[in-house]
Amino acid sequence: MSVLGRLNRGETNVDFIKWWRRTMIASAVLIVISIGSLFLQGLNLGIDFKGGVSWELKAPGVSVDEARTALDAVGEGGAKIQIVGTDTLRVQGPEGTAEHTIEVRRALADLAGTDPANVSVSTVGASWGGDVTKSAIRALVFFFIAILIYLTIRLELRMAIAAIVAVFHDVIISVGVYSVFQFEVTPGTVIAFLTILGFSIYDTIVVDDKIKENDRLVGMNTRMSYAQMTSLSMNQVLLRSINTSVVSLLPVVSLLVVGAGIMGAVTLEEFAIALMVGLMVGAYSSIYIAAPVLVLLKDREPKNRAINERLAAQGIDVNAAVDRAAVTAAAAAGTRRSVATPSGTASTSTGASSPSTGVIPPRPRKKGRRR
Amino acid sequence: MRRLRAFTSLIVIVLIAASALIYTVISDNKPLLGLDLQGGVSVVLKPKGTAESSAIDQAISIIRQRIDALGVAEPEITRQGDNILIQIPGVKDKDRAIDLVGQTAELQFRPVLAALPAGSQVVPPSDTTTTVPADATSTTVAPDATSTTVVGSGEVGLGMGASVGELAVGSNSTPTTLSDGARELAQAETTTTVAAVAAEAPAVDAATVGAEPTAADATAADATAVDPSAADPAASVDPLAVDPATGGLTDAACATTLSSDQLNPTGDALLPQCKDKRLVATYKVGPVGLTGSALDTARANLGQSGQWVVAPVFKDNADGIGKFNGAAGQCYAKSATCPSGQLAIVLDGQVLSAPSINAASFKADQIEISGSFDERSAKDLATALKYGALPVEFEKQQAQIVSATLGRDALHAGLIAGLVGLILAGLYMVLFYRILGLFAVLKLGIEGALLWTVISYLGTNNGLALTLAGITGIIVSIGVSLDSNVVYYEHLKEDIQHGRSVRSATDRSFVSAFSTIVKADVASLIGAGILWWLTVGPVRGFAFYLGLSTLLDLLTSWAYMRPVVKFATARAFLVRRPGILGLPAERTQTTRETGATGEPTMSGANR
Repeated sequence: MSVLGRLNRGETNVDFIKWWRRTMIASAVLIVISIGSLFLQGLNLGIDFKGGVSWELKAPGVSVDEARTALDAVGEGGAKIQIVGTDTLRVQGPEGTAEHTIEVRRALADLAGTDPANVSVSTVGASWGGDVTKSAIRALVFFFIAILIYLTIRLELRMAIAAIVAVFHDVIISVGVYSVFQFEVTPGTVIAFLTILGFSIYDTIVVDDKIKENDRLVGMNTRMSYAQMTSLSMNQVLLRSINTSVVSLLPVVSLLVVGAGIMGAVTLEEFAIALMVGLMVGAYSSIYIAAPVLVLLKDREPKNRAINERLAAQGIDVNAAVDRAAVTAAAAAGTRRSVATPSGTASTSTGASSPSTGVIPPRPRKKGRRR
Repeated sequence: MRRLRAFTSLIVIVLIAASALIYTVISDNKPLLGLDLQGGVSVVLKPKGTAESSAIDQAISIIRQRIDALGVAEPEITRQGDNILIQIPGVKDKDRAIDLVGQTAELQFRPVLAALPAGSQVVPPSDTTTTVPADATSTTVAPDATSTTVVGSGEVGLGMGASVGELAVGSNSTPTTLSDGARELAQAETTTTVAAVAAEAPAVDAATVGAEPTAADATAADATAVDPSAADPAASVDPLAVDPATGGLTDAACATTLSSDQLNPTGDALLPQCKDKRLVATYKVGPVGLTGSALDTARANLGQSGQWVVAPVFKDNADGIGKFNGAAGQCYAKSATCPSGQLAIVLDGQVLSAPSINAASFKADQIEISGSFDERSAKDLATALKYGALPVEFEKQQAQIVSATLGRDALHAGLIAGLVGLILAGLYMVLFYRILGLFAVLKLGIEGALLWTVISYLGTNNGLALTLAGITGIIVSIGVSLDSNVVYYEHLKEDIQHGRSVRSATDRSFVSAFSTIVKADVASLIGAGILWWLTVGPVRGFAFYLGLSTLLDLLTSWAYMRPVVKFATARAFLVRRPGILGLPAERTQTTRETGATGEPTMSGANR
């Protein structure tokens, strides 16, 4: 049956150790691109970061050119004029006097044939966005420290470090996406990014918890290295991670497509894009960044180094793919000792092929399910 | 027994959710919509430079007064760090509102030209020169040169939250000799001198003196006696200001905010003094003699006679005590610029106190304002004087006018997007986890009922508004809640695949899945808490609702999800039908059993 079917039955057998090498490289490339883009073209900062005035109103059928002509009369011909959402006209200009702001408001209302009360005006001092960013960065630093302490207590220091590395990775790539595609950065975006951190940590904790549960599998008896155990854990939590990401993403996608796209609520867009980008990056990083970083850290531990050396001395490839079915069967049989790690040759069997390696007695047939 | 307890929690949580919902409906609590959803004005003020915490609190109370005078239903003024967030939903004159809140409140010392009690009548300007009774001067002579007493009328303006009692009583002697005679004297003096006020009032601005029937009837009688026919025709030009029936002015003065003309430092100004939106008196004051910057500090003390007094300390230089003596000297001499002999202490148009000056000159640190202070009013005045020395200047960091239509559109979009997102995520859960997925959706229902109750309660009783950011937070929290179910269900599936019976896996998985959920939720809570703590404005709404729904998730995961899954997995009927339960079949005997029941299993379909 399909990959999805195997996923649902817990039969996936992805060789994550192999994938991690690729994803680490891919992430490194993405980070370089992100930082490069940040240096080269920076971020498209919204009015909140530069200071100025923004007028917004529903103006169905009014074109940008018409708006510009109308605004020329009140001396705002040079303003930035956009149609956002479906029919919302947004005009942004430098900060002026209160009277001028009112004048422009009236001009826009006349243009759209509506009452000035229907025009939203936002005046922003230049320091506002900076303050939001400052408080966001402060929040970020506190968040890192608090999470580091919390995870160290609840899990362990290395997991906490790996989780922070993953979150850091998420922030850089998310900001990178905003820089590369030049999405407008608003205070709402900054908020959304901060929320993402929570999500990213959530996923990572789910993964780390599983790894911790499987910790006992590492050792000479089971002939399993920490890397292999982690890879196995990833297979076990894969569906969990996918599903938590999907159910989190669906409402956010709805915000973006239905709220911002169809209904034209621009403010929702600010949140939704950042949330979506962050959610996806966060889900990816908990499996493809947090886990390998953890393995890198753990392999330096004397205990794990010894295990790896001894396993290698026995001619066992410590980075070979693990047969999940074998472990599952062993767990089912209530034993721990008979789990065998397939040798290097078996590592070619990735998730796409049958997990059976012949070492294990045939599993009891499971009942099929209607899907 | 444990199972029984588990079901108790299920019943309890459902009952709580149901009664919460009923409570909300009965008490008619409704969420308070933020102004980005209903339209209105929002301003974020940031102090320029550093400001003392209590000085900012004082600034907030001043801003609140100004907005209250606009007659707005529910302004929300919150302090976030050093910033002040002002949200005024549904205000009509939005530009004016924005203009008002940002003005710096300056403490001013202004000579009192006249004090007009409520109910007085306006008299023609020709009377201006009349009568400063000679007695008045004699009663207010300073008794003691060394401990100079600036005698206060004892009332403190609204800004300090104290009651405004006898504003008309301007001049009197030392507190002990505050006799009725002195009072009447003061009133007589007052009413006569007010003539000047009436003439200039319309020109200055809305000359707004209200007549309150209950207040100071004796005074009113006195006033009428002075010049019964005196309704100044010029005054009626301003319709807002004059009540044509009495010739006096209406309480409308209290429903408008002071214009900049009234706060004008260089000219004369007419300051209505209000309490609970009723006018209690009006002060006519001259140009600003000195501002709060002349002050060094101020204290409230218990004086020698056991009465509360306020002791301001001026800066010992020309700009400090020098200026004060300049102003005080004129008042002491009752010169034309200060005919009443009183020097008003004015903060944002509120006359905090208008003590009579009873010495020609003072030493910087030997001034005492005495009068009928109690401990609170004395301390309030001292605080005002103290921070008057360092008025907090604010800059508008952000000012927003949200149109009601755009706000409503945003609300609709948010609600519909949320609903669609909810349906999508719910469908996914049901497709994936069948009946267990349905339980997850019902869990959202319970959380929704509780969340709605909290939002409505806080909206109605604490003025906590639901903003678009908050709605986004709630929509996002749908995912947070369902995540917990996914974690549990996947753990359950795995355990069963490892050969456990469905029933034993139910308990065992919950323990470890719940520990994962707690860890993850606490991490989310830490994030939300830090966001709430460290940020300003809409971010807080977002963080609050995200944190709240995370807490609710923890609660419902334990009290609802655990028993309800237990209930389902205890039904052999469901366990035999994995396609309905949403869990894999048990690995051992179940295979045979299901085969026997004739259910169309698809053995071999795996390959």
